[in-house]
Amino acid sequence: MPRQALAALLLLAPSAAFLLAFSYWPVLYVAVESLTAGRGGADLGNYARLFADPHFAQAVRNNLVYAVGTIAPSVTLALLFALALRDSTRLNAMLRTLLVMPLLIPLVAAAALFSFVLLPGQGLLDWYLARLGIAATNWLGDPDLALGSIIALTVWKNTGYYMLFFIAGLAAVPQELLDAAKIDGARALARFRHVTLPMLGPTFGFVLPIALLNALTQVDHVVTLTQGGPSDSTSLLLYYIYQQAAQNDDPGLAAAATLISVAALLALSLGTFRALDRGIHYAS
Amino acid sequence: MTITRRAAMGAALALPAANLVRAARAAEPVAIDLFFPVPVQGMLANEMQTLIERFNGQQPEVRVTAAYTGSYDDTNLKTRAAIKAGRPPAAVIMSANFVREYVINDEVDAFDDLIGQDGKTPSEYMDAFWPALRPNAVIDGRVYGIPFQNSTPLLYYGVDAFRDAGLDPDHPPATWAEWVDAAVKLTRPNGQRWGLMFPGTYDYCGWITSGLVMSNGGQYFNHDYGGEVFYDAPSALGALSLLDLMVNKHKAIPPGVSDANACTGAFFAGRTGMMVLSTGSLSFVRSNMKSPYRVAFMPRNLRNAAPIGGGSLILPKGNTPERRQAAWKLVNWLTSPEISGEWSRFTGYFAPRKAAYDLPDMKAYVQQYPDAKVALDQLQYAVPWFDTYSTVAVRKAMEDQVQALLSAKTTPAEAAAAAQKGADALLRPYVERTALKLPA
Amino acid sequence: MRAERRLLATVAIGAAAIAWALPFAWMAVASLRPGVPPDIASLTPPGPFGLGNYALAWRSGSFPLWYLNTLLMCGGILAVQLVTITAAGYAFARLRFAGRETLFALFMLQILLIPALLIVPNLATLVRLHLYDRLLGIMAPYFASGFGVFLMRQTFRAIPRDYEEAAMLDGARIPALIRHVLAPLARPGLVAFAIISVTAHWNEFLWPLMAVVSPSRQVLTVGLASFTAGAEAGSAWGMVAAGTFLVAGPLLILFLLFQRRFVSSFMFSGIK
Repeated sequence: MPRQALAALLLLAPSAAFLLAFSYWPVLYVAVESLTAGRGGADLGNYARLFADPHFAQAVRNNLVYAVGTIAPSVTLALLFALALRDSTRLNAMLRTLLVMPLLIPLVAAAALFSFVLLPGQGLLDWYLARLGIAATNWLGDPDLALGSIIALTVWKNTGYYMLFFIAGLAAVPQELLDAAKIDGARALARFRHVTLPMLGPTFGFVLPIALLNALTQVDHVVTLTQGGPSDSTSLLLYYIYQQAAQNDDPGLAAAATLISVAALLALSLGTFRALDRGIHYAS
Repeated sequence: MTITRRAAMGAALALPAANLVRAARAAEPVAIDLFFPVPVQGMLANEMQTLIERFNGQQPEVRVTAAYTGSYDDTNLKTRAAIKAGRPPAAVIMSANFVREYVINDEVDAFDDLIGQDGKTPSEYMDAFWPALRPNAVIDGRVYGIPFQNSTPLLYYGVDAFRDAGLDPDHPPATWAEWVDAAVKLTRPNGQRWGLMFPGTYDYCGWITSGLVMSNGGQYFNHDYGGEVFYDAPSALGALSLLDLMVNKHKAIPPGVSDANACTGAFFAGRTGMMVLSTGSLSFVRSNMKSPYRVAFMPRNLRNAAPIGGGSLILPKGNTPERRQAAWKLVNWLTSPEISGEWSRFTGYFAPRKAAYDLPDMKAYVQQYPDAKVALDQLQYAVPWFDTYSTVAVRKAMEDQVQALLSAKTTPAEAAAAAQKGADALLRPYVERTALKLPA
Repeated sequence: MRAERRLLATVAIGAAAIAWALPFAWMAVASLRPGVPPDIASLTPPGPFGLGNYALAWRSGSFPLWYLNTLLMCGGILAVQLVTITAAGYAFARLRFAGRETLFALFMLQILLIPALLIVPNLATLVRLHLYDRLLGIMAPYFASGFGVFLMRQTFRAIPRDYEEAAMLDGARIPALIRHVLAPLARPGLVAFAIISVTAHWNEFLWPLMAVVSPSRQVLTVGLASFTAGAEAGSAWGMVAAGTFLVAGPLLILFLLFQRRFVSSFMFSGIK
């Protein structure tokens, strides 16, 4: 027994050292930094300053909209695409490839492409919309549309990825179960609701936390496309942190915002895991 | 006693050794980095690489690696990070209005000693440049930035659009009243043609806003002290009201924020009658605009004024004397009348050194291109560029409000008040340790 | 009726998939068009075509350097990861020791604590370890992978114990056992992980942007961002398209060539 423990210790040590240095210690560090790092002349604590900062409040609001706005459509579309393309025909394989391609490119490359797609007037979107008689739209420059445009870019980028999991999940639904339901006279929609969907519980349990993680940790497109503008309308939490750390040189505010993001991420991910877990139990 | 002696001995030993090393190295060029941004449209990064290759080929002592670092704001972030990491580049072409902040943060070296070794006083040296450039280059009496590429905003307008709208292209709008009138006449419904466009993205937005405020007689910020801005002064309120009028009432400017690409794209396609853009884009517009166009001064309300823009060469702190000397050599070459004239002709930026315009090539150029002459003539009305403590954040406090105004999300009065409040909060740490710090 | 509905569904999904691919189609077409044509958005332009934009983009950026740095970064991360995850995966799959489940949960926590989110503290750590502004600094936070450990634990668990017992009887020690017996058997898991790891790090932006300042140590994504954001390209959209392809192309081409491999890896994984 102790021999195994010793072996385990040696085998786990390299990973543990890096995890300590770059995952756990940082959390501790921001916790301390957020309480101690001050800014010359500022008489408020970092958290008080953070909660009083309208830019932070805006970033939190935007991030909520962004999370719901990216996760709901991309997961729904992914499921629909998966249902339509579940059979492995040659055509389906080709269509799947087209849908998955955005996953392979860097988010900054996607942003570079979309900077043209969304260009008012001459861009890919407006150019072809004009043929339908639709006037030019300021997709990234209108504060009412900019976040929506960023959301559209994210949905484009991630849907194919989630689709892959649903295809795998659907493959695991036993055909006998569907056949039995068919014999019972269940219509397609009812079969989907009562047989297929519950069986996809674990897939949702997988996809939703990943989608949530993406919504909180991916801001490359904001950095390169909008810099959070216009008027803060596309500023997300991590972008706010980046701004405080790199641009405003305010480590205390950055640390406080980081700790809140980490806490939110942990709480939400665990929450999703739990809720789905329960969902799966109910279903079975 | 012993310590002193040991130190003296050490110095005595080290000196010749250092000389030996230097002598041995003399054959080898000093390698330095230059960070440079490309803030306007055009193939500038390509051209800058070519320029640096030429410099490297012309002399054996210095070998420069030019690193393209994105926009002015990006270049600022990267330079700051490099300094903090203890790996400062030897020279940077920095947005001229960030120089003050580097001085406040003690992150740059002054040029005074280098200027002195050529037998000049800093003041004599700066006399060779256009006077409007001085406030962003000389801070607290010392030279921290050597102007390299400079600009002012210009009014570009399409001749065909003017004729089509019943306007006289020989008489571009000179006052705000004429400007609004022209914008309204040029506007055709459904976005077929806008009266006026300008880039409202970060950096450009603040620059143009400050220009409007200055044309309205305002200061916009305290030129002499980095802790004050005048965002809610009547001159600023008037400028914001002008934008509100043209965007939200007359619908002569497209709502929301347009970037430079959208502006030039619309201008080239005849979908905007006028645009405000940097003189640095002159060559880009000249080579891409198919139909005739002209340029004019920024229209005035109370006075003609145009903010200086552009980049200056700075020497970040933390470089060895050897590297500083090498950088000085590069700076002198880049800002020489010949090279800065060449760069000016390639880009449209004006050459900061007055002597550049005495060269035959430059005379011919200004004669050939009347738009370049307008840019040069506007220089007499040039005013310093916005610079404060924490420049970018304070600039953004106004930019966010202007962007909101462009989308009818706020009113001029609310925007002015909110911008001032935001800026005051950002400036507070600096104000408290300077202007508000009293003797005990 | 049913057939009609099926046809309708096929048409709809086909249209959606084509819409999805349009940005790529535009990238390919526009990158081949010289100059600044006014109809640069057109997906079916009359021509002329040429490779001039690629030459321009290549010259405007330091692509050879960026490729080299990106390859070094991805390769370095992967090499260390393969060692750490195999070792830890084996420990969690096969060895019994106190606190195993708790420790495993702690390892899994890392999947959430990604370096981009922890920019501020991780930069401070890099400076202290003298890793700031070095490629090694970009790599270090990824040397341990909670996800990789999870993957390898699953993989090892699926391998029958008979092999090990036979080897143990021959007196093999654990390191030799892992290297010569188990690792070859776990190859599918390792390959899947490799594909995911390289894809993730090739495409990463914010962390490399912050961890490195010297232009000579920049990676592709960071280079592309200054290339496009600096307005250098201006309305030269053909050049932007060419530059984007130079950055995104290698992985896209590999994906198209080895689709099955990629897709099964992504399915296998779940987490990037």
